Amino acid sequence: MTDQPKPNAPEDAAPDSMSRRGFVKDAGTLSATSLLGTAALMTNSDEAEANGNWAEWFQGNYRLMTQEEKDEAIARLERRYTNEYGKKVTVDSTPAEKGVLFGYALNIQKCIGCRRCAKACVEENNQSRGDQEIEWIRVLKMEKGEFNSVKMGDGYPESYGIQVGGNAYSASGVVLEGEHYYEPEKVPEEDAFYMPIACMQCEKPPCVKVCPVRTTYREPDGIVVVDYNWCIGCRMCIGACPYWARRFNWGEPNLPKEEMNPKTHYLGNRPRMKGVVEKCTFCVQRTRKGRYPACVEVCPVGARKFGNLLDPESEVRRVLADKRVFRLKAELNTYPKFFYYMD
Amino acid sequence: MQANKRVHADMIMKTGIRIAALCALGLGTMPAVQAADGECFESRDGASKVVQKEIGENLKNVECSDTTGAVLWWGDPYDGTQPMGDMPVEIEGEAVVKSRTAQLNLYPVCGVACHNGSFPAPVEADAPPRKLTMHMDLVPDSMNLQHGNGGIWCLDCHDAKTRNKLVDNAGNLVDFNQPQQLCGKCHGQVYRRWREGLHGKRIGEWAADGKKRWFVCTECHNPHDVQQGERKSGFAQITPEPAPKLPKNMDNADHERHHGH
Repeated sequence: MTDQPKPNAPEDAAPDSMSRRGFVKDAGTLSATSLLGTAALMTNSDEAEANGNWAEWFQGNYRLMTQEEKDEAIARLERRYTNEYGKKVTVDSTPAEKGVLFGYALNIQKCIGCRRCAKACVEENNQSRGDQEIEWIRVLKMEKGEFNSVKMGDGYPESYGIQVGGNAYSASGVVLEGEHYYEPEKVPEEDAFYMPIACMQCEKPPCVKVCPVRTTYREPDGIVVVDYNWCIGCRMCIGACPYWARRFNWGEPNLPKEEMNPKTHYLGNRPRMKGVVEKCTFCVQRTRKGRYPACVEVCPVGARKFGNLLDPESEVRRVLADKRVFRLKAELNTYPKFFYYMD
Repeated sequence: MQANKRVHADMIMKTGIRIAALCALGLGTMPAVQAADGECFESRDGASKVVQKEIGENLKNVECSDTTGAVLWWGDPYDGTQPMGDMPVEIEGEAVVKSRTAQLNLYPVCGVACHNGSFPAPVEADAPPRKLTMHMDLVPDSMNLQHGNGGIWCLDCHDAKTRNKLVDNAGNLVDFNQPQQLCGKCHGQVYRRWREGLHGKRIGEWAADGKKRWFVCTECHNPHDVQQGERKSGFAQITPEPAPKLPKNMDNADHERHHGH
């Protein structure tokens, strides 16, 4: 281009690449490229990236892929992540082990609401941080409340003589909804108990029923997983989940290179992209290798137990045998494999 | 002969005083908790320190919380552990623990330099209980022992002569690394639950016969302050991790905190 200003162009006109002419020119090149098809795309300047993108766009549903296709996809992802995060990233594809059905038990009496589980989960599972923060575990602070004979009958429905927690006009018993954003100096607070909630890994998961592309499904070891590449981001599963356990990547996830956990699983903690749903997988990358999930290990009061529901000697089975156990929203017939218990 | 004896006794006294002075000096300069770079705590603040280090390519032994200094993640759950030893746990599989004595700064010297079994003259185990002014720096709660509702005192758990050992009700010496052998004598129910893998914390492999690192009693509970005054709870309060981010366009979480909405 010449230094002379173009006729009719204002002094502060955009540089050539941004001008209309430049745009039209670029668009022309682009469409020409498209016309040339795959070959042209693949011989573009950044060949590896183009190859990767191409293969990724046309990748099948993970569940229906042959072993070769899986291996190929995983090798490609490993290359891309290693390149992107500047360290050796492994993408594991260990399948479910026979005779294993994962179950989880949480002692609601012991939980002190310190939120270490939620943070450890982020550390382990490569969730987005900062403005785009995603946490799979949410910890609810619940009021212990007060149930006494004086207030008997104050609850809703009126005059039934059963105090069930107050109503819009009369505060009695437990009157607060669960709090997510409590921030005391120290936990546990007096008169509070805490209820961590994450994916319940239902045996009959409503999220799986509604997925229009069947990208979320139940694995043979009971974990409900998401193939992020096949997810179309319709968020039907988020609406269907009665436990509010699924999260959506509204923006490009913010995962700093130095904080990225390089030991990943295809169905678990590999980096996600914008516009896909993610959720707790019982740390599939760890548990399929024999290790406890990260939240179990970090819990400072040992309130979290994990194991094989098919093994009577496992911690979780011992809990089921010995303790008073309940499941959240059991009436929905989702059959969660996440149990809450009391001593 | 008589004079000789007196001189000898004198010498012993002097040496004793010097040792006592040295001990006091050592205690005085010993900070209870020292936060250093890359140092965080595993379970109980100030009592389960761990230093962050590289244990492999892009792998640290632990990751710590920026806000609370608590360990959030173990790169290797068995790093720095030793076999649990003579300990009948009910779960099969390898059981390892971390050394408790490594966390006790004065442990290597306390049984030789300060309490060598004859000096200072050991208190009888059935002596009338008194408050321990000497060790307020080591045991901040020594003047207000919060264990057993005032029914027990130092020498119910610490051996009168062998100060680097604990002692159970039958007079058996118990290692500081195996406090469960002592605690279980009174807290039998909890002890049983712990052996079954229900009470307390383990990290490592989830399989019933997997290798696990077990956390022993004193890693989570402060034996000198298990009651926590009015709280009557064995686990001390800790600082929570920060709350999740508020949704966009929401300034505060007041909606959660109104009664009777």
